[in-house]
Amino acid sequence: MMWGFPYFVLVIVSINFHGSLGLKHKDSFHEELFMKPLVSGHVYSYFQFTTIWEIDKGFKDEDFTNSHLFPRPLGEFIKSYDIKEMHISLTEGVWRHKSWGYPITEAGPGAELWVWLKNDTVNIDQKWKDLVNSLSGLLCATLNFMEQANTLAPQMSLRPTGAFSTKEKLDNKNIKYATLPREIVCTENLTPWIKLLPCDNKRGLSTLLNSRDIHNTNYHSLGIDYRHICIDKACTRLGLELKQTVSLVHDLIIVGTYDFNWSIRKLFGNGVAASCSQAETSSVYVDITSNQTGPIFSIFPEPTKVLTSLQGGQKQLIAQYDLKEITKERIFNVYTIHEKPRIISVATQPILYTHRYITGYGQERGGIVTKIHNKHRTPLKIIYLENIPWFIPIYYHTLKITSGDKTITPLIKKYIPGKSRVRPYYLEVAFEVPERSVTTVRIEFDYMFLKWQEYPPDANHGFYLGSAIITALLPTARNYTAIPQTESLIKNSFNVSRDGYLVQIRTEALIVALPTPDFSMPYNVICLACTVVALAFGPLHNIASKRLRLTVIRKRGLLEKAMKGLSVISARFAKKDSKEEGDENKEKVKSNKTDGRVCEIKETKKDK
Amino acid sequence: MIADDMACNPRNPRPATVFNNANQNIDVYGDDVEVDYRGYEVTVENFIRLLTGRLPPSTPRSKQLLTDEGSNILIYLTGHGGDGFLKFQDSEEVTSQELGDALEQMWQKRRYHEVFFMIDTCQASSMYEKFYSPNILAMASSLIGEDSLSHHVDPAIGVYIIDRYTYYALEFLEDVHLDSAKTMADFLAVCPKRVCISTIGIRTDLFQRDPKKVPITDFFGSIRPVELSSRINISDFKKPTLLLMEE
Repeated sequence: MMWGFPYFVLVIVSINFHGSLGLKHKDSFHEELFMKPLVSGHVYSYFQFTTIWEIDKGFKDEDFTNSHLFPRPLGEFIKSYDIKEMHISLTEGVWRHKSWGYPITEAGPGAELWVWLKNDTVNIDQKWKDLVNSLSGLLCATLNFMEQANTLAPQMSLRPTGAFSTKEKLDNKNIKYATLPREIVCTENLTPWIKLLPCDNKRGLSTLLNSRDIHNTNYHSLGIDYRHICIDKACTRLGLELKQTVSLVHDLIIVGTYDFNWSIRKLFGNGVAASCSQAETSSVYVDITSNQTGPIFSIFPEPTKVLTSLQGGQKQLIAQYDLKEITKERIFNVYTIHEKPRIISVATQPILYTHRYITGYGQERGGIVTKIHNKHRTPLKIIYLENIPWFIPIYYHTLKITSGDKTITPLIKKYIPGKSRVRPYYLEVAFEVPERSVTTVRIEFDYMFLKWQEYPPDANHGFYLGSAIITALLPTARNYTAIPQTESLIKNSFNVSRDGYLVQIRTEALIVALPTPDFSMPYNVICLACTVVALAFGPLHNIASKRLRLTVIRKRGLLEKAMKGLSVISARFAKKDSKEEGDENKEKVKSNKTDGRVCEIKETKKDK
Repeated sequence: MIADDMACNPRNPRPATVFNNANQNIDVYGDDVEVDYRGYEVTVENFIRLLTGRLPPSTPRSKQLLTDEGSNILIYLTGHGGDGFLKFQDSEEVTSQELGDALEQMWQKRRYHEVFFMIDTCQASSMYEKFYSPNILAMASSLIGEDSLSHHVDPAIGVYIIDRYTYYALEFLEDVHLDSAKTMADFLAVCPKRVCISTIGIRTDLFQRDPKKVPITDFFGSIRPVELSSRINISDFKKPTLLLMEE
């Protein structure tokens, strides 16, 4: 995609159009909901709120000061940080490709953010720091923890999805990608997200987004995607596209429908009373293909239209509901009734899916293993992107890609070693996965100690490792739902056959239990050391400071005996003994040199 | 500032909700909550920085206090504490002296008009004893040497779910509306010893006004008055705006 219109011409025209543009907004808003009962007994719901704003040729940059449907806070944010394209997702749970197929938008667990900044952006690192801080305030998430030390610039996987001028060279310094796999996603993220919609949650499909119902799911993901698009095929007209998405996977058993008869009211608590008056499109699509392949169910009310979609050799049946028409008469609600008790069948597995885990034991060495399953009859070329935090030092030479007994040589290998507290380990490998095989990517790492202050308060919980991204072009559209890159809306995603179907699978995030020091250790050490010192010091000091000597007890004279007798009477009985002994000692010392008749062992102070 | 994710923790049997009691009367988390500092962001350093306004330049507005000498501030703290400290994140503490100094710094920087300081922890009154800045009204759930006790257990999750002081304070505040005639003195008497078991500590010597005459809406549930006018005087607007429109 490109626009071949010279910029300098546009700038001149802009002066004339600047004032009038605020009045005549060429923008549109579309609200869509796609629902698909999954073979595993779950229901996948995907909300997409799209704002398309055709930007006048008169603009060098987008002007967000005069926004109409486009949310102004986001516009100002995009403007001030020179953002060309941005993708944010806040996700709880893992998308299970093997049983659920491919979602419309992929998202890794926790927070994921990737941004393409404009080519002429200066001071990019500072911009990125301010950007994530600003975004953390906008979305109530701790995105400000996306620092330089966990930010990557992938060279192959995350290419821009929107329109880019052919004159603009894609410079890798302009991409920033970071994940926070531990980020919590809750009501506080949904609240500011909903505020960006033109109808808030007052009217339209967004009234279904009650925090209690959307968090009571197996998987929920909030997304914001912003990019430049071509309005027409020839790309003579340009536009901005903002997609706000919510992906949910409801477990019908948790919802409380044991007979698998689901309805919008059961899943979301209420129906849709009215469509958003700002919306040009307000539609609900229900994938009823499984009605033919799986257990038969009836869907009520009667759809406005039933679409048949053929793409990549796959046939899909879609029931379409036009909310604008339906809500004129009644509150909209879709419900299904299964004719027979439902049997969960085995899912037709998608062509490509992955599984990732940690290997090794002990607290010295470990490994990360990613298994890539290719179920197709032809080999597939894939790109594997690994984002490993600096505190999990990997060994590049241990990277092994095997399929059965066969070692696979990568087509491209890109690697930038991490640096403690500065940057993460970046590894991007392109290779071919053989047909009908399981390919294993294996790399080893060391467990390391952090500095005392770097451990989080709950260090024993473990440290998170974000998901790897596996990019591939699938030859068929089996289990595929995504919207083509050239289109914006769900309604345009049917009957579009392509050469390949792009997937970017996110693997599971991992927890690594780094060796955690016992934080009560300093206290224990002090106590133990003091005890040992105290016990050792006494005898050692005695040995070191006193010596054994031979003394001679002299026989007393008569006068001395008489004096002693007097002192015995005068002294108290209890004290008498010790005093006597003391006297005796003195005498013994005194008499040491005089007489040698009786000998006694006696400790005396060493006279230095 | 919320350090834990009680609402969306997978162990919460009722996701995205936090209730005031086991009967699930009031969902205190609500449907439109916003959290400015959460998780590992909740540190003593960030708390003191927030109060004193000494924040990094890239801090977004929602993470700043942005108050001036006309602002009334409510500070409510709860958690595990002891004589002269309150724990943060199970790894560090804020001491009463640090808090007192931070408030003094705020006063000197004219960051508040009045502060109402509430704390619910064991030996809570030790936390306000070191305060020395004017215009602070402080209330604590227990005196030094006393424990603050919890209200009741929720058998569904198997833990004690709310503290007595917070429970009765919430009960009182649920009835506070924009036009409430209640005063701060009513609020200070919210949890007598027979229900709280611990003794409520109150410090009024720094506060200039009589709590009996301070409306509760000075600190709770207040919305700034908005004046509606039917006529707009166009000359009030800046000239450049007009010029641009004429073009």
